[in-house]
Amino acid sequence: MKTLIHLIEFGLARILLFLFDTLPYRFNCSVSKGAANLWWWVDRKRQKVATNNIIRSGIETDPKKARQIAKRSIQNFSMMLVESLRSDEYLEGEDWQNHITLDIKPDVLEVLEDPERPLILAAGHFGNWEIAAHLVSRYKPVAGITRGMNNPYIEKLVKSRKGRYRFRPIPKHDNNAGRLIEELNQKNILALLFDQHAGKYGVMIDFFGHPAATFKTTAMLHLVTKAPLCYADCVRTGPMQFTVTTSHLIKQAPTGNKQDDIKAILTTMNEHLEHTIRKDPAQYLWAHRRWRD
Amino acid sequence: MAKLKSIVEDSATEPVDLSNFGPETTVEDVGLDSLTILDLLYDIEQEIGVEVEAKEIIAFRTIGEITQLLIDKGA
Repeated sequence: MKTLIHLIEFGLARILLFLFDTLPYRFNCSVSKGAANLWWWVDRKRQKVATNNIIRSGIETDPKKARQIAKRSIQNFSMMLVESLRSDEYLEGEDWQNHITLDIKPDVLEVLEDPERPLILAAGHFGNWEIAAHLVSRYKPVAGITRGMNNPYIEKLVKSRKGRYRFRPIPKHDNNAGRLIEELNQKNILALLFDQHAGKYGVMIDFFGHPAATFKTTAMLHLVTKAPLCYADCVRTGPMQFTVTTSHLIKQAPTGNKQDDIKAILTTMNEHLEHTIRKDPAQYLWAHRRWRD
Repeated sequence: MAKLKSIVEDSATEPVDLSNFGPETTVEDVGLDSLTILDLLYDIEQEIGVEVEAKEIIAFRTIGEITQLLIDKGA
């Protein structure tokens, strides 16, 4: 029975993908926006979480305006899915630079262009992080942690699409330090999203002035392996138009005080992310429960 | 070995039983998961003064093997 359900889901996914691949991009965007609006009205819990997060961040104090930002945030997330499905069409062509503006700092560019140096690239759930990963894979292979699908057929389908560019998925259940270090040893880019609630594994770091449990993996990998680390974001500036920006390299030599070293790195990363979000709050995925106190 | 035991104790996120700590003890026995291994590497570098490449220690399974690596590196 389970297999039959998986096969039906797989069939529907194939049909949807076929439609997304063949229908005009702008039409897909309209469908995506409609789906997001439906999601917004159905999932009241996420609606509330997103709105409360925006108010708590201090970006908007008026509940009505905060709700508008939250709704656009859901629409942007839905748009991200469409863009990611079509990204190879735009980024693998000769004219990819017509779609992407790069603001990569010289010290980071030097690392990207050096085949002997790995890079830890830290990003938040802002804009289109999948496009950012696709773009930097032009320099060297990118590895990132991915959430596995419950349906093995869809999992295979997703993998085959991501395989179109040099992306090496690390399944969440296989997300151990050895696996991550292996990617750095191979001089690849390790792309990590750091702004999820880390629970008991986290270190409390201020995010918009409120302590949030933050994963320390990124910081520890930098401190231990000495691999270069930078922050990056990918802002949507128009239909299939993006600007990919990086920080300068974030450097923190071990001082002997581990907690202070970790906090210094994670605070810097959170500050970069806050700065990015303030520029266009609706491009951030607010529906995630970042603060859980 | 005593110094390593103390570092392992500090690196573990939860209290662990180190009464049988010895060369045959595995990293799993002392509660070191993938994240605390990174903590251990940091502490070894800072407290023993030996820089261990992450890929070297990740390959080891027992405390005895880690001790040997540190001795080989001059600790």
